[in-house]
Amino acid sequence: MRILVIEDDSATADYIAKGLREAGHLVQVARTGKDGMMLAASESWDVIVTDRMLPGPDGLTILRALRASGIATPVLVLTALAEVERRVEGLDAGADDYLAKPFAFSELRARIDALGRRPAASQDPVALRVGDIEMDLLRRAVRRAGQPIELMPTEMRLLEYMMRRPGQVLTKTMLLEGVWDLNFDPSTNLVEVHVSRLRRKLALEGLPPPIQTIRGAGYILGERG
Amino acid sequence: MSFLPRLLRSFALRTALLTAAGVLGISALGLGFGWLRSSAVLQDALDTEIRQQADELLREWRFGGPAALMLAVELRTRERAPGVLLVQLRAPSGSVFAGAAPLAVAPPGLQGFATIASTDSEGPLRALGIGLPDGFRLIVAARMRLVLDTAQTLASTLLAAGALAVLLALAFGLFTAWRLERRLRAVSGAAEAVMQGDLARRLPLSGASDEFDRLAATVNALLSRLETVIEGMKQVTVDVAHDLRGPLSRLRQRLEIAQARPRDAAADAALLDAALEELDGILATFTALLRIAQLEAGPPLPGGQAPVVDLSATVATLAEAYEVAAEEAGRVLAAEIAPGQRVHGDQALLRQMLSNLLDNALAHGGSHLAVTLRPGPILEVTDDGPGIPEAERPRVLRRFYRLDRSRGTPGSGLGLALVAAVARRHGAEPVLSDAKPGLRVTVDLSAARAS
Repeated sequence: MRILVIEDDSATADYIAKGLREAGHLVQVARTGKDGMMLAASESWDVIVTDRMLPGPDGLTILRALRASGIATPVLVLTALAEVERRVEGLDAGADDYLAKPFAFSELRARIDALGRRPAASQDPVALRVGDIEMDLLRRAVRRAGQPIELMPTEMRLLEYMMRRPGQVLTKTMLLEGVWDLNFDPSTNLVEVHVSRLRRKLALEGLPPPIQTIRGAGYILGERG
Repeated sequence: MSFLPRLLRSFALRTALLTAAGVLGISALGLGFGWLRSSAVLQDALDTEIRQQADELLREWRFGGPAALMLAVELRTRERAPGVLLVQLRAPSGSVFAGAAPLAVAPPGLQGFATIASTDSEGPLRALGIGLPDGFRLIVAARMRLVLDTAQTLASTLLAAGALAVLLALAFGLFTAWRLERRLRAVSGAAEAVMQGDLARRLPLSGASDEFDRLAATVNALLSRLETVIEGMKQVTVDVAHDLRGPLSRLRQRLEIAQARPRDAAADAALLDAALEELDGILATFTALLRIAQLEAGPPLPGGQAPVVDLSATVATLAEAYEVAAEEAGRVLAAEIAPGQRVHGDQALLRQMLSNLLDNALAHGGSHLAVTLRPGPILEVTDDGPGIPEAERPRVLRRFYRLDRSRGTPGSGLGLALVAAVARRHGAEPVLSDAKPGLRVTVDLSAARAS
């Protein structure tokens, strides 16, 4: 993917750029809000990663300007601290995702991958299918290889979240946000517990386990894409 | 700076001068009017006396004609002390028939009252001219000296009174200015002391409950709030230094030992994993600390203005998530949630509060845990673990406070401090009590209730 990174701190910018290049992306770095704005508006990108605090126009100003110009490129905003109000402000400004510093690189990578795959137009399917798992969104029914599987509402939400992002690494914080709407990491291992439950319910004799754990990163449903 | 130069620029002095000017103006008007009136009254009295004399003399005329009048005039002129009342009778030709010489200057046809000069040095005269039959004319006059002297004395007395009033106004103004200056200097002195770091310093109250006291009380409340916030910040700094030093030094030691060791892929990978985990813990502590500090520094959420949060739904979702976690750990979490409970507040913070309470119950509680939301709404999380001794309860709500027995278990020691901070933001105070056995934490959110 072509990724634009707007970040004034050179250490952070180099670290992000290096990691993303190693992951096979084409990365360009802008060190000021002005450069970032020029690059963001003049070239075509798959994902833009911008720091919130920048010299010149800040991240949110760039974001608003892009959205006002009809540029819908997915934008991930980095910020020094995840303050709840700030988060809302960022999402209101048109950010597609929001990540607090300090972050694990695997987290940033997973979120960029997720943004890069986001469907261009929102489509609301009535059924999801990943491998041999099917979910009927209207009747809230799940089958694996044709066999009905009983799920609790939370497990249903978790599976739906994963089925909408097949083959993507989903980090613990992405799941906490997406399924439970929690923007912090509780000391109780909620995600692990629910994923392991879901795994047990989805386990069928003779079939491979559908959810895989990626060490140090998160979980994947289906073949890694 | 001494009092005088400051005074010259002071608002109070300007007020005092304005007041003095006002007093001067009003005095001038009042006293001037008074003087005019008094002079008029004095002159009226003189005129009345002249008129009486004239009436007496006219009676002589009626009895005996010009001759009798002439005699009476001559008699009076001689008898009376000269200078008090002067009488003159003039012949039809205009020549003086009888009477006092100083009246010579009176105009020939004088009719009615007039003020005229005299031929001597005794000052002006007040004269009444009365025309008589056959061309005779009677003139009765009095010296005006007394009237004029009195008026003058009155004028100087009034001027002195006016000057005194202005002086008094000025003195009063200066005194007020001085008092005002003194009170304000006490205020700015205290403010300077606070600025220089004496955070406990407060503005003095005079006890008069006047507007200065009210202002001072408001400023004192502000200072108390500032002191709390700054003390909180200081405390955070100390806490951070104290509690993060341990894990950070451990991490450093571990990395140092590993560095000295020959490279081994498997051991290095394990070390890096452990180091990352430790760092994540430290970062989580930082985040929690900053969040608590932000919450404590911020004002309480405005009651009716914060968005409405469906507390029942929020609690239900989290309770469900934690029920599974409790079950996996071989424990039971019972949830009893009254429907339709809503509060004005911050949903994310409320979620975090409940989540911390449940984390705490799972970490320290026994096998049976319960979360209850009662109408009020009152949120309660109960466990049947060892509980917290009564003496320690207030302290566990503070940052980094951990009971000795839980030093070994994971946790930052910030969970309940964050609960307290979120609760206070919503106008509630968490209450810890004995669940016999175990711990019960009650958060009465009725102050934030939304209808």
